Amino acid sequence: MTQKSIDIMHARNLHKTAANQKIGRALVLAGIYAFLILMALIVLFPFYWMLISSVKSLAEYRFSVPTLWPRMILLKNYAEAFTAANLGRLFLNTLYVGLVSTLLSLFITIITAFAFARLEFKGKELLFAALLATMMIPGELFTITNYLTVSRFGWLNSYTVLIVPFLVSVFYIYLLRQNFLQIPNELYLAAKVDGTSDWKYLWKVMVPLSLPTLISITILKMMGSWNSYIWPRLVANDEAHRMVTNGLRNAFTDTSGDVNYPVQMAAVALVSAPLFLIFVFLRKYIMAGVSRSGIKG
Amino acid sequence: MKHKQKGVFIAMKIVLQNLTKIFPSRNKKSDEEVVAVNNFNFEIPDGQLIGLLGPSGCGKSTTLYMISGLQKPSSGRIFFGEDDVTELSTENRGIGLVFQNYALYPHMTVKQNILFPLQNLKGSDKLTKEQMLERAYQAAKLVQIEQLMDRKPSELSGGQQQRVAIARALVKMPRVLLLDEPLSNLDARLRLQTREEIRRIQKETKITTVFVTHDQEEAMSISDMIVVMKAGIVQQIGKPQDVYDDPANLFVAKFLGTPPINVFEGRVQGGTLYLGEDAVLPVPGIPDQPVTVGIRPEGFILDANGPLQCTPVNVEVMGRDVSVVSTHNASANPFVRSIIDADNRVNVDSGAVRYSVKPHKLFIFNKETEERIYFEVK
Amino acid sequence: MVESKQQWKAWIYLAPAIVLLLVFTVWPIINTVRMALLNNYSGLKAAGGASFEFGISNFQKVISYRRFVQCLKNTVLLCVFTVPISTLLALLIAVALHSIRPLQKALQTIFFLPYVTNSIAIGMVFAAMFNIVGSFFGTENELIVTSGIINNVIEFFGGTRINWINYGSSYTANMFVMIVYIVWNALPFKILILLGGLTSINKQYYEAAKVDSTPRRRVFWRITVPLLSPMLAYVIITGFIGGFKEYTSIVGIFGERMGPVNDAGRLNTMVGFIYDSLSNSNEGRASAAALILFGIILVVTLINLQVSKKRVHY
Repeated sequence: MTQKSIDIMHARNLHKTAANQKIGRALVLAGIYAFLILMALIVLFPFYWMLISSVKSLAEYRFSVPTLWPRMILLKNYAEAFTAANLGRLFLNTLYVGLVSTLLSLFITIITAFAFARLEFKGKELLFAALLATMMIPGELFTITNYLTVSRFGWLNSYTVLIVPFLVSVFYIYLLRQNFLQIPNELYLAAKVDGTSDWKYLWKVMVPLSLPTLISITILKMMGSWNSYIWPRLVANDEAHRMVTNGLRNAFTDTSGDVNYPVQMAAVALVSAPLFLIFVFLRKYIMAGVSRSGIKG
Repeated sequence: MKHKQKGVFIAMKIVLQNLTKIFPSRNKKSDEEVVAVNNFNFEIPDGQLIGLLGPSGCGKSTTLYMISGLQKPSSGRIFFGEDDVTELSTENRGIGLVFQNYALYPHMTVKQNILFPLQNLKGSDKLTKEQMLERAYQAAKLVQIEQLMDRKPSELSGGQQQRVAIARALVKMPRVLLLDEPLSNLDARLRLQTREEIRRIQKETKITTVFVTHDQEEAMSISDMIVVMKAGIVQQIGKPQDVYDDPANLFVAKFLGTPPINVFEGRVQGGTLYLGEDAVLPVPGIPDQPVTVGIRPEGFILDANGPLQCTPVNVEVMGRDVSVVSTHNASANPFVRSIIDADNRVNVDSGAVRYSVKPHKLFIFNKETEERIYFEVK
Repeated sequence: MVESKQQWKAWIYLAPAIVLLLVFTVWPIINTVRMALLNNYSGLKAAGGASFEFGISNFQKVISYRRFVQCLKNTVLLCVFTVPISTLLALLIAVALHSIRPLQKALQTIFFLPYVTNSIAIGMVFAAMFNIVGSFFGTENELIVTSGIINNVIEFFGGTRINWINYGSSYTANMFVMIVYIVWNALPFKILILLGGLTSINKQYYEAAKVDSTPRRRVFWRITVPLLSPMLAYVIITGFIGGFKEYTSIVGIFGERMGPVNDAGRLNTMVGFIYDSLSNSNEGRASAAALILFGIILVVTLINLQVSKKRVHY
C-alpha cells in the first residue's frame, strides 16, 4: 500500500463519515417528528372523537364498525343536549359565579399583594410566611369545616356560597406580589413626592404595569370556576344554582345501557367550547401564567 | 487519524482556503446580509500559537467557530493537515475548544469535567478507567489544578475555572486547540499571569493553537504569528514584531501598539514629507500627494535642531521613560504623544519642543486607500 | 406619625383577605384537628345537642375501615403508575419538541390542549371511547352493538376486545383506563415546565459536549437530565401531591358511582372517602381521614425533597 493510496482511502473515509453523519442526522430528525406526531395524534384523538360523535345519529354511533367521519351531520344533537342538560341555566350560573368571584378576587388579590409589596407594617414577613404555609395544606382539609360553616351561615344553595370562600387565593397573591416587587421602588417614591396617594398609585401605576400577570390570573380563575365540581356539588347543587360541570355529569348518569352518546358528546363539546375559545385567543397568557407558577414553585 | 500515537500530542497544520461566512439579514425588510468572514486564506503552521486579533465584529470569533465546526462556512474549505474537514461535524474533528465563559459542566466536579471527553473516546482510542484517570491527572498537572479535582466549578475562581477548561480541552490530546477570548473575563492582574500560562502550556505540548482576542497587547506578547482582521477581511498576517514594525495599512498601524501611533495629515512634495510647515523627512520615490502619516511614540528623538516642532502641553513621568504630550497642527488627533528617555529634560513652559524622527518608525499611507506607501530608508 | 398612619393603612388593605382567611382557612385547620379528635363527631348530632369525647377513635375507625384501605390502595396505585409514566413521557416529548424548529409552536399548542379542558367533560369522552355499547350487558341476553372505538382499534390489529369499564370489567382494566386518562391530563403541565427548563439551559454546554465528541445518548443522560433536575424534581413532587388528591378524573369516567355498574365505589380514592364521610355527616371520620391524607402527602413530599437534595443540581 503506497502512501498515496493510504491517503486516498483516508480521504474517502472522511468523506464517508461526513456523509454518514448527514444520513444519521436526517434519520434521527425523522424519528423525532414521527414520535411527536404520533403523540400529538394520541392527544388529539379524544377531541376528534368527541366532535364527530357529537354529530352522528345514535344509530350511526352504534355501528359495530365505527365510522371515522359521520355519514350525516346532525346538528340537532346540540339542541337536544342544550335542553336535556339545561345547559342554558348552567352556563348562566357558571358565568355569573365566575365573573363575580373573579372580579372580587382580583380586587382582593391586588390590594393584598400591594400591602405586602409596598406598605410597611410590623410582622409583614411573619404574616407572609404564614400565608405561604397555608398553600401546602390540601384543600380537602378546609372543605369539611367550610361546609359546616356555610351551613351554619345558611348559605347553602345560594350564589354566595359559591363565591365567598374562594375569594382569597394565596398563590395568586404571591405571584402578584412578586410582580409588584419588580416594579422599581423609585417610581413609588417619586409618586409620593408628587403627592400621590397609595390608592391612586396602586390603580394608576402598578396595576397597568402588571397587566400580563393580572390577565393570566383572571383567565386561570375563570377556567377554575368553569371546571369546579366538588364544592358546588357539595353546597349548591339545586336547579337554580347548579354549575356547568355538575350539570353535565349528572344529566347523563349511567353507562350500563342506552345512553344517547352523541347527545352526551354534544353536551361535552358545548361545555368545552368556551374554554377552547379562550385558549385559542389567549393561549399566551394561560401558558405564561402556568409556567410562571412552575418556575417559582 | 490512524497515525496518531497514544499519549503524545501530534501537531497539525491548519489550512483555511477561501473561507467565507455570510449571515442572512435578520429582518425581512432589508436585503442586507452580513459578510462576517470574507475569503480568508491562511496556512497555520503546525505547533504554533496564532492570535486572531481585531475589534469586535471583525469576524475573528466566527472564524474560530468555523475551524471548530460549530459554524458552517458559506464557502471555502478547511483542512487539518491533509484532511478536508469542512463537511465534518464538530464531534469528529478532534479539536479542543476553550469557550469564553468556560462552559464547565456545573453539576460535575473538576475531575468529572476533565474525564468527560475521555469517556467519549471510541474504538481503538478507548481507554481503561485507570488510563483515563492518569490522563486526567496529567492534564490537571499541566495547568496546575491538581488540588482542585473534587471541587465544583461554582466553587472556583475565574482563573481556576479557565484552567480547568483548558485541561478539559487538552485531555483528549486534540490536534488543534482553540481559545475564544481566553483572557477577557479575568481581572487585570490575572491576565498577565494567565497569558504566560497559555504560552507555557503551548510550548510544552507543541499543539497547534489558535486564540481570539481584541487586546493587541495580549496577542502580540504570546503569539508566534498574528492575524489582524477588520470587518471580515484579513488585514495582515505575520510575526508580531514584523506586523508592528511594518504595518500594511493604517488600520493595522493604529490597532497595534500602546500608546497608539500618532496620526498626522501631511503631504509629500518634491521628495520630502511635510507635516504642516515642517519638512520632516526626505522620502525619495514617492510622487507628490497628500498622505496620512503615522509616527510611533518611540520614533521621536528630542533634537533642538529637529525638523518637527510641537507645542508641549504636559510631561508625564513614567519612571523608566518620559511621555511628552504636545500638539501639532497637522496631527489628526488632539494630542501627539512621544516616549523618550527619562534622562531628557523637557520644559513644558518653553512653548516649543523639537524632534527629529526615526525613519523606520514613520509610516506613510495613501490618503484614500490607507494602504502603505513604502519609501527607501537611507 | 407617618409610620403609624402607614401601619393602619396596611391593615385596611389586608383586612378583606385576612378576614376571609381566618374564616375559611385558619379556622378550618383548627377545627379539622378538633373534630378529628372528638370521637365519632357528627355535625348533625352536634347540632342536635350531643356531646363527644376527646380521643383518637376516629383515626382508629378510619384505618380499620375496609373502604378506607381500598381507597388508599387505589390512590397509591394511581400515583405509583401515573407519576413516573407521565414524567418520562413529558420529558421525552419536551426534549423532542426542544430539538425541532418548524412546527414547534404548533405542536406545543396541541400538547397543551388537555390542560384547558374540563376534567369531567373529557372524562366522559374517554368513557365513551372505552365503552362497550349494548343492551342487557352482562346477562345472557346481552346484545353488543359496538365495542367502542378503542376495542375496535384492538380488533383491527387482530386482538380481542376488552371489557374496560362496563358491567363485569376487571379492576385491572378499570385502573388501566384511569391511568391512561390521568397521564393524558397530566402531560400538558409537565411538558410546559420541562420545555421551559430545557430552553433555559445554556446552549454552550451543548456546544462543549459537541467539542468533547459526546454521543447523543450521553448528552441526554449526563448533561440534559442533570441540568433539568430542578424542574424534574418540581414536576415529580407536584405530581405526587396532585396524585394523592385524585378524584374528579374518576368521576369523569365512572360518574359518581366510582366504579363499574356491578361494583360501585371500587375505584374510590382518599379524597372520595373524605367526601363520602362528609355526605354521611361523619365529620369526625372525614377530618381524621383528611389529616391522615395530609400526613401521607407530607411524608411523601419530605422523602422526595430528601432524594432531590442528593440528585438535584442547582
